[in-house]
Amino acid sequence: MTDNNHTLLSIRNLSTHFFTEQGLVKAVQDVSFDIPLGKTLAVVGESGCGKSVTALSVMRLIPWPPGKIVAGEIEFDGQLLLDASERRMREIRGNDIAMIFQEPMTSLNPVFTVGNQIVEAVKLHQKKSGSEAWTVAVEMMRKVGIADPERRVEEYPHQMSGGMRQRVMIAIALCCSPALLIADEPTTALDVTIQAQILELLRDLQRRHQMSIMMITHDLGVVAENADHIVVMYASRVVEKADSEELFAKPLHPYTQGLLRSLPRLGEKKERLDVIDGAVPNPLHFPSGCKFHPRCPIGKDDSRCQTEEPPLKEICPGRHAACWYAGENKDE
Amino acid sequence: MNNQEVTTDMTQKPVKGRSLWSDGIRRLRKRKFAMVCLVIVLIYFALAGAIYIDEVLQDKFGEKGYEGISLFQWNESIGPSYQKPWLDYEWTPEDSEMSQEGWTFFGTDFLGRSTWRRTLYGAKTSLTVALCASIISLLIGVPLGAIAGYFRGWVDDVIVWFYTTLGTIPYILLLMAFAVVLKDATLFGHEIKGATSVYLAMGLTSWVGICRLIRGEIIKRKESEYVLAARALGCSNGRIIFKHLLPNVFHIIIINFSLRFVGFIHAEVILSFLGLGETDRPSWGGMIDAARTELARGVWWEMTAATVAIFFISLALNIFGDALRDCLDPKLRTD
Amino acid sequence: MSETRKHLVEVRNLKTHFPIKAGLFSKTVGHVKAVDGVSFKIEAGKTLGLVGESGCGKTTVGRTLIRLIQPTEGAFTFDGDDVFSLPRKAMKAFRQNAQMMFQDPYGSLNPRMTVGTVVGEAMGVHRVGSKKQRRDRVAELMDKVGLSPAHLNRYPHEFSGGQRQRIGIARALALDPSFIICDEPVSALDVSIQSQIVNLLQDLQKQMNLTYLFIAHDLAVVEHISDFVAVMYLGRIVEYADRDTLYANPVHPYTQALLSAIPEPIPNKDKKRIVLGGEVPSPSNPPSGCAFHPRCPLAEEQCKRQLQTLLPKGGSDQHLAACWKAK
Repeated sequence: MTDNNHTLLSIRNLSTHFFTEQGLVKAVQDVSFDIPLGKTLAVVGESGCGKSVTALSVMRLIPWPPGKIVAGEIEFDGQLLLDASERRMREIRGNDIAMIFQEPMTSLNPVFTVGNQIVEAVKLHQKKSGSEAWTVAVEMMRKVGIADPERRVEEYPHQMSGGMRQRVMIAIALCCSPALLIADEPTTALDVTIQAQILELLRDLQRRHQMSIMMITHDLGVVAENADHIVVMYASRVVEKADSEELFAKPLHPYTQGLLRSLPRLGEKKERLDVIDGAVPNPLHFPSGCKFHPRCPIGKDDSRCQTEEPPLKEICPGRHAACWYAGENKDE
Repeated sequence: MNNQEVTTDMTQKPVKGRSLWSDGIRRLRKRKFAMVCLVIVLIYFALAGAIYIDEVLQDKFGEKGYEGISLFQWNESIGPSYQKPWLDYEWTPEDSEMSQEGWTFFGTDFLGRSTWRRTLYGAKTSLTVALCASIISLLIGVPLGAIAGYFRGWVDDVIVWFYTTLGTIPYILLLMAFAVVLKDATLFGHEIKGATSVYLAMGLTSWVGICRLIRGEIIKRKESEYVLAARALGCSNGRIIFKHLLPNVFHIIIINFSLRFVGFIHAEVILSFLGLGETDRPSWGGMIDAARTELARGVWWEMTAATVAIFFISLALNIFGDALRDCLDPKLRTD
Repeated sequence: MSETRKHLVEVRNLKTHFPIKAGLFSKTVGHVKAVDGVSFKIEAGKTLGLVGESGCGKTTVGRTLIRLIQPTEGAFTFDGDDVFSLPRKAMKAFRQNAQMMFQDPYGSLNPRMTVGTVVGEAMGVHRVGSKKQRRDRVAELMDKVGLSPAHLNRYPHEFSGGQRQRIGIARALALDPSFIICDEPVSALDVSIQSQIVNLLQDLQKQMNLTYLFIAHDLAVVEHISDFVAVMYLGRIVEYADRDTLYANPVHPYTQALLSAIPEPIPNKDKKRIVLGGEVPSPSNPPSGCAFHPRCPLAEEQCKRQLQTLLPKGGSDQHLAACWKAK
């Protein structure tokens, strides 16, 4: 079954809750989406929407206490991850599914050289001797575009710039040729010109290795240029799913519409920016009904939106939205 | 003003705020065990306070016939010398050797004074010493640390040199030196004796730790954006240190205070061993020191009483101090 | 440019160098040239956008102008006064007229002070008004920025990021300044909140005739709010123009690369992207000649040898670029 639309990762009805001193935080509720082989899926949302927690749930890195995956299934290449043993998960992490994070300075260990850290990843999963592993490390650094890798392999993270460190993170992630790369805000902390370099690197590596990427970000520009499919999350739920082109051409959910409208765009001349009123809700006190309704131009006065939570429905083929009025509104 | 963008609540009465302190205290209250420990500590303090008030009253109204609470009369001989505690006997009412007066149930010392009463009095001595020593070391350490950390440059160099040098001298030696000097000195015309010399010595030598700690914390916070904002507003250095920086390190001072308090109680014991402690009045250290020779003769109750008293307050303060640290540290908030 | 309208802010050849100390006796072995010769003017009521990537010195410019950092060289004339040589008393008056807004909504407010105290502190420091007058003014300011005055006894952690930035704005406005330096005011906010704050800043500017120096790295936001834009690279301004000209016709290769690097929320846009090689160099060890030459697609020998000065381009002396090859 290796047709183009083979699904590599399938998340079904995932729910992850945090049992904190201040109350129950339902960080992720009933989230479902699929990542096809060799494609990039972007999970988009603002702070607190649950996108990072979703990624950590896939890797089963949710700390307990206080967090716990309470429901759902995650299927990776035929295996059910939530049922797998911890030992099996350790074999998968770094090897079949790899993750890179936002802040390379804190994700890299400051007391080890970068070479050491790549070698550690290699040795964990591949049966290679010390010197073989170092050769692999140098090769990986070259592959991710670090010039003069033989020398730089001995450097420490603080001696490198942000862009370099992110490349090192990518090298660590890719040294075992994973099938899925989870990138959690990989370029948010980088300058725009460096961001362009890193994104191009990721696209190039994806092409060469036929790797799937789950990219988590809040930057819709990055999404537009890098993602094939998009999942929009708001306040712990998926509110819209679509192919990239279709989402930007015609967003169905009012949140997505508001988000796209409120972005200041190059070359656009507006007197005032469009806004979404209000702010992201506190996860301890989600609103009743549709979580977006207090900020929604339609929902704030609609009794159905205030009381009933809309399910994620397929509005037209390949397009899902969680809104009672999706497809009906005339905006955009 | 166009208020359409933000939903505002236009009630006029100001809403009460929820400070980080009240959050921390609320978290602390949920820890029942720590609260029990706090109660134990407060009982000790209440006791010490009661003894102190009793003494003041005796001083003032002694001629008028006020005799003080009997529980606190540590100097009264109420039984034979070295009477064993009631626990040690199979108590029979006919046992005439045993004094049955109250407060001899934990035995007596060589002068026939109640061990129990003297142990209670020891609480006042120890707590007074520890409290005063803590306060003195804070009064020296915190301002020096804040100044060193905030101004850096040569001021920092001088202060750091000073406390590093002081810190290289072994603590006991330093303590002894101060205690010996202070023993016969006078402060503002009053003779320093006994407990006063003890806590002065301790306070003057124990401020280095808190000074270092505060210096580090001030350095960490001094380039925070809220400090920069205060400078941009035109705040003076003094205002920034007192109104902006110190309130943000206050929780550290409190935690440090509670954990070092125990150290001061123990230091008093050590000083008594060296003959430099309080001699006129009972103190736990004094009781333990005297017990060294007494133990050989089988008199175990003096030492036990003092040790048990120290044990409970040390344990309670340690547990409470740890709980304080967990609850007051803003970084542990799950916001 | 001496015109009929007076420039409220005039900066000439500003330099801020930080000494690098090394060795046993902390000798100064070099300098980090964070800002190395920056000049610009801002008219009253206008906004100058100062853009650049990390290490370009834009934040240092802002902090030096407000004298949180000492300048090494240069002059800053504000409303006719030479700010860098003001005595202490006059500095206090300057601080009433020029204020700053900070980037981090979580770090720029003292967590132990109530919001009312934060907003009203400036009035206390400068001894303006009676207690009641200050209280009323705090309520007025909070309302102006879109917050309920009933919340003045609350603490910063009880507010969201966007609300905290509003508090920061209220604090900056307390003494009715005429000039506000906005240091990345929306970078740390969620996307849907950024536009609220940008709109608020624009409204306040119109209402109170404020002059802004808007420091940011997000070029789309800068385009929206600025009248003029200056692009910085490694301590210097490499291009300066009015907003429309800069975005329509950038002439410096760095500006061109910067604009093309921005990912736009339009899928499959056929974007001729200029991807710059190399890394942003360190300000303690800048390249010789034009600092951009190691990464510049147009670099030649002359670029390595000669430092570039701002030259008028495109026939107008309002559009300047530091590149002899730019048209």
